[in-house]
Amino acid sequence: MSDAGLRERVRALIEDEARLLDDQDFEAWLALFTPDCRYWVPVSLDQTTPGDGVAHFNDDKQLMAARTHRLLNPRAFGAEPSPRTAHVVSGVRIDAVDDDGTVHASSSQIILEYRRRDRFEEDSRVFGGRVRHVLRATGSGLRIALKRVDLVNAEGSMNALAAPF
Amino acid sequence: MVGGMATLLNSPPRLDPSALVRPGRVHRSVYTDAEIFRLEMERIFSRAWIYLAHESEMPAAGDYVRRHIGSRQVILTRDRDGAVHAIPNRCSHRGTTLCAFDRGSAPGGHSCPYHGWNFAADGRLRGVPQRSNYEGVLELGDYDLQPVRVAAYRGFLFGTLDAEAVPLVEFLGHMATSIDDLVDRSPSGEVVCSPHVLRHHYRGNWKLSFENLNDTIHPGFAHSASVVSAKAVAAGLEEGEPLAASLGMMLANGKPIQFFQDLDMVTTPRGHSYIGGHMGASYTADTQSAYAQALIAHHGPDKAARVLGTDRHLMLLYPSSTWHARYQTVRIVRPVRHDLTEIIGYTFRLPGAPEETYRNAVEYCTGANSAASPVIADDLEVYERIMDGNGFDAREWVPMSRGLREDREAVPGLTRSPATSEAFIRNQFAAWADYMGAAA
Ligand code: FES
Ligand SMILES: [Fe+2]
Repeated sequence: MSDAGLRERVRALIEDEARLLDDQDFEAWLALFTPDCRYWVPVSLDQTTPGDGVAHFNDDKQLMAARTHRLLNPRAFGAEPSPRTAHVVSGVRIDAVDDDGTVHASSSQIILEYRRRDRFEEDSRVFGGRVRHVLRATGSGLRIALKRVDLVNAEGSMNALAAPF
Repeated sequence: MVGGMATLLNSPPRLDPSALVRPGRVHRSVYTDAEIFRLEMERIFSRAWIYLAHESEMPAAGDYVRRHIGSRQVILTRDRDGAVHAIPNRCSHRGTTLCAFDRGSAPGGHSCPYHGWNFAADGRLRGVPQRSNYEGVLELGDYDLQPVRVAAYRGFLFGTLDAEAVPLVEFLGHMATSIDDLVDRSPSGEVVCSPHVLRHHYRGNWKLSFENLNDTIHPGFAHSASVVSAKAVAAGLEEGEPLAASLGMMLANGKPIQFFQDLDMVTTPRGHSYIGGHMGASYTADTQSAYAQALIAHHGPDKAARVLGTDRHLMLLYPSSTWHARYQTVRIVRPVRHDLTEIIGYTFRLPGAPEETYRNAVEYCTGANSAASPVIADDLEVYERIMDGNGFDAREWVPMSRGLREDREAVPGLTRSPATSEAFIRNQFAAWADYMGAAA
């Protein structure tokens, strides 16, 4: 496939992934990931592997499934009313392609989040930063093996985070 | 923030702290009154030993970290002779904070960004640019920064602003054994603090997290949605697919209450406490045996067995930190305002132990201290709702009477109660009233 064709496919996948989160279509979202995937939001841009230290999110697929299952559970008052998000995806790039077809892509993303808690302007938050995807070629197309979100405030102190970025 | 005047104390005199704590109940203004918070900073956080840092965070001469003692910022710096000093992060010229980073290296001392006054690790004013302007006016020695008293217990550094404070070991009392529990798990005798630190905060009073962490009744309710979700995922696993450790932690909150009723809670003077272990996560067989071998080589078989056999859940070291020895995690509770608290999580490597021990620590700290942890998100929500709810209504007193008649054993320096008891909260408020009772 041409470089432009691959880039187009990768961009579509990253945009679709973000859209599925905004739509809270978590089943379809999880299906975009490989069974051995990792969803990772480190606490420092210096971190190199998910094992090298604590993280805001360091999820395998089971935890991703439990987390998103809970988001839709009305008994999860820590996430109720459930947050609404809008992802803005921009600047998708292919940084490298391995011999086996694994694609390393990055994008800039801004995530607007709203959760009505009667705290006025604090109910809306803005997150953002560089998002890295490692996409593995599988029988059913490219699947996400790693999603790493490097927030601009990775080292910062967070209040409750219910929705994945 | 909701709150304000309605939350202030009406009947007993508002700022007489001894009137705010009664047997089995506490006045809600201790959470909601900004003036009481100010008194706490003066009377509790200026008197107690406050956990600051671990020696390994400042390995070389000139290395420093910035920390808090209540509302005050302090800088801890290692000097050329290897000693660690703490000084206020405040220039003695016009009060500018000297240092804006949480950690770094300042082998040439701390220079003020405003007019360049320079301070040594121990606070000595070493240099003032344009010295000639001060000829006969300013003695450098008059503007040294007053060092903060620091003491170490097995590499963990504590500070106090009280020159009269009892020695650190006396402050720790029986709780020193929980710090031993952490350090003794290292087959090299060393523990090393990870540079990666996990911070979260909530719009609520600092005491709320101290009163939550060893509350074993709340998980079955507050965290039930996580249990439901973890069970749903577990039910969908393929044959033979192992359950992720993170889900195991979520499921631990679904244990029957009788389990916690049978477990011990230990409270000690000065507001400290811990409960027996219940997370039950173990190492893989390979790690277990390699780790046991390494510990036996270091401690001998008897002590190694004792170390590995110790299973305590969180130790709450009032009023500044919470410790999980089994998972090498220490969290600092940083009071920012009466309605704003930051929790800062540190993990430790045990050099000589299998890598899996560090992975477990990281996994625990991430699950127990990330704002994104489904379990923590529930706790944070509750803290903020407690602040909201205590901001109105005529009911002024908050009961803390659960298990009031259930203490199991009391010997000097230590009381044993069921882990379901609110004895640890009563114990915290006994210490609180003690610290707050008399003006400094
Ligand atoms: S304020 Fe620090 S040197 Fe002037
Ligand atoms: Fe909790």
